[in-house]
Amino acid sequence: MTLNEIGRYGGIPIKLVLILVLLVVLRMFLVQKSLVLIKRLVALAVFFFLLFLILFPHVSTRVANVVGVGRGVDLVFYMADVFFLLLIVALWRRSMTLMAVVTRLSREIALQNASNPCESNGRDGKETS
Amino acid sequence: MTDLSVWVVIPAYNEAEVLGQVLRELLDYDSSYHVVVVDDTSTDDTAAVVRRFPVHLLRHPVNLGQGAALATGIEYALRAKAEIVVMFDADGQMCPKDIGVLVDEVVDGGVDVALGSRFLNASPKGMSVIKKLTLRLATKMTRLVTGLDVTDTHNGLRAFKAQSLRKCVITQNRMAHASELLSEIARNKLAYREVPVTIRYTSYSKAKGQSISNAINILFELLTGARK
Repeated sequence: MTLNEIGRYGGIPIKLVLILVLLVVLRMFLVQKSLVLIKRLVALAVFFFLLFLILFPHVSTRVANVVGVGRGVDLVFYMADVFFLLLIVALWRRSMTLMAVVTRLSREIALQNASNPCESNGRDGKETS
Repeated sequence: MTDLSVWVVIPAYNEAEVLGQVLRELLDYDSSYHVVVVDDTSTDDTAAVVRRFPVHLLRHPVNLGQGAALATGIEYALRAKAEIVVMFDADGQMCPKDIGVLVDEVVDGGVDVALGSRFLNASPKGMSVIKKLTLRLATKMTRLVTGLDVTDTHNGLRAFKAQSLRKCVITQNRMAHASELLSEIARNKLAYREVPVTIRYTSYSKAKGQSISNAINILFELLTGARK
């Protein structure tokens, strides 16, 4: 077999690997019992969209050419870029919200366990030891 | 001296070394002050030191930062029906006698807030040139953003009327709360006045205090911080 031939056959395994990864991720989404229907549908839609891109890469190239990008891979790469930036913002905002919750909880615990000098060591203004 | 109940809030993180001296000096100056120390999960004996004094002790279960500790102490003081709330540092840089001056300003001076300033009269001793420049720059920025006419935006010594402080919201858990408080003063249109205070720069406080590079962190906190 020449290198060219290996390359030609190599096209199939990478598609298989990608589809397997997609299936695993899809499963991770769908097994969550708490997931609402609309999110399940979105997950399914994204799955079929990506599946389509993997199976017919030349379609993305044609779309890329229409919007002025050279190759389909590049177009997918740019879209992933935007997606990850949005993801970072969303995760960061969620972590800020969590931090605010942690702060509120810690504050409440601190307030409830406050030691008051009137109860413990008496307010005589003197240092005790 | 005043008949109003004055609460002094002190956020503390690993200050066992000097906090005893600070509390002694504070209570010697005026034993009628209600003192609240908020221990922000220190890893040293800070809490043990505080327990030797007739003061209120609150402890965060997890470390949250100076702004959060201050906010916790304020919440406690306000719930305890404080009439005047003073913010004070645990590292021994501030002089208790300045509290009296600030409180008088709020009680008799007709303002809602009295703010301590290092730069109002003279240049503070023992402060490095770079630190001075950084603080001036930070002050310029804050003046620009808040429109407040202040000379020292990062001075932790402040006295608030309780009803005015209730209107201010502190969301900045770490160091950016100083600028945030000024924004809150501007937003609520509180009457404020700066009062010259003395800050003692000791080798301890210099080591514990804010490094210059942290100015960038504070800026970042403000830019990314939770918006209301």
